[in-house]
Amino acid sequence: MLEISGLTATIDGKQILNGIDLIVPTGEVHAIMGPNGSGKSTLSYVLSGREGYEVTGGTAQFDGKDLLAMTPEQRAATGLFLAFQYPVELPGVNNANFLRVALNAQRRARGESELDAIQFLKLARAETKRLSMPDDMLKRNVNVGFSGGEKKRNEVLQMAILRPRLAILDETDSGLDIDALKIVADGVNALRGPAFSALVITHYQRLLDHIVPDRVHVLAGGRIIRSGGPELAQELEANGYAGMVAEAA
Amino acid sequence: MRDENQLHAAVVELVAMDDAQIKYSTVQNWYPGDAAGRGGIYNFVTKRGICKGARSKISWTQVETGSAITWKYPSCVLLGEDSVGEFYSVAVTTNRQQADTGTKMIHIGKNSRSTIVSKGISAGRSNNTYRGLVRILGQAGGARNHTQCDSLLIGDQCGAHTVPYIESRNPTAKVEHEATTSKIGDDQLFYCRQRGLSEEDAVNLIVNGFCKEVLKELPMEFAVEAQKLLAVSLEGSVG
Repeated sequence: MLEISGLTATIDGKQILNGIDLIVPTGEVHAIMGPNGSGKSTLSYVLSGREGYEVTGGTAQFDGKDLLAMTPEQRAATGLFLAFQYPVELPGVNNANFLRVALNAQRRARGESELDAIQFLKLARAETKRLSMPDDMLKRNVNVGFSGGEKKRNEVLQMAILRPRLAILDETDSGLDIDALKIVADGVNALRGPAFSALVITHYQRLLDHIVPDRVHVLAGGRIIRSGGPELAQELEANGYAGMVAEAA
Repeated sequence: MRDENQLHAAVVELVAMDDAQIKYSTVQNWYPGDAAGRGGIYNFVTKRGICKGARSKISWTQVETGSAITWKYPSCVLLGEDSVGEFYSVAVTTNRQQADTGTKMIHIGKNSRSTIVSKGISAGRSNNTYRGLVRILGQAGGARNHTQCDSLLIGDQCGAHTVPYIESRNPTAKVEHEATTSKIGDDQLFYCRQRGLSEEDAVNLIVNGFCKEVLKELPMEFAVEAQKLLAVSLEGSVG
């Protein structure tokens, strides 16, 4: 379970998060929607521990552990995965090798045995196939020369292989055509279960047609101004953010 | 004793006759001096080769991680027709190290070919220079050269320099030079750490990826050693 309480954060002295309260129970998928500049990406970076974001107050716990006290790699080993809005290129580093090193680093941190090259390839190939992605996805260098859609699909493949317990998808749907959107959604839906939760950050309702969330939260001005069921996303799609933001102010 | 500098001055000469091939691989980790630049080896080395025979080939591969100062330019005189010269290099500098290394490819024989791949990695307050000469003589019709020089910077106090000399006296020769400079970015490090890698593992992965083209030229046992040496050399260079 993810429990965020009174979370405030700044970048370069500028306050972006103004007291976020949010609970995502284990097994649930929650969507966070909001206009540009509302603090959506900041929230995902603060939760995953990116440098440059200063937490000025509040708490964030995952399964009772203080996330904010951990390094980014400790958070990853605890089961937190961030699907990046802009996945980063790693020239000369092939995807399979990258993922094996990452998975084994996480397993080591959790006190589990490491996978050898053959065990890992078997797992990676099975996941690649399940997501209907081409085999050469594993051989290519991490995100190098990938189209926008391929980068997003690669994030989903990484998520499938690393098997997080909490996934944060930071506008993973932006720039995707409908086929790629479906692959992303299928990837998330396949992980859904009693031990998996997700925070899906998005601008548009479109992705939520495919990943139906348990709860929807509207983020504006660095705080959550409304929460509701999936119907809230439809209301937003019909009426836009402006009315809701004005009402909350 | 360790505050002083010692000189290493070796001479290597290679001669390849008709159809002969020589592959000369070096992994060098002489004492580089301490973090403040005190002590360390001066590695001033003469390495030269001549491809005398037709279709002969000389291939130099080097991984340079040590020495306070390195001056080293393994060269190939490509005298034989259809002879081939190759130079593959990884040079890593940290703290106050200086590496000035590269090659000379002197094309004399018809249709002689050369390939140069140089990867420089600078960290700390070090300076890393590629200095290379490609000279095509008048009689070297159809000669070809391809040079690739890539520099990787870690931190904001190091330097990478590329000084290629290209001289062509034959209008049928083809000479290509490509150079890139990149930096290990905070975004790359965060991406790796978010997936579970420590900062040091992330740097190793990125550096090894950057050097892959050269490391694959090394004999198997050497390549494993070289990878570990890269990791040890760059320990603590980030953060």
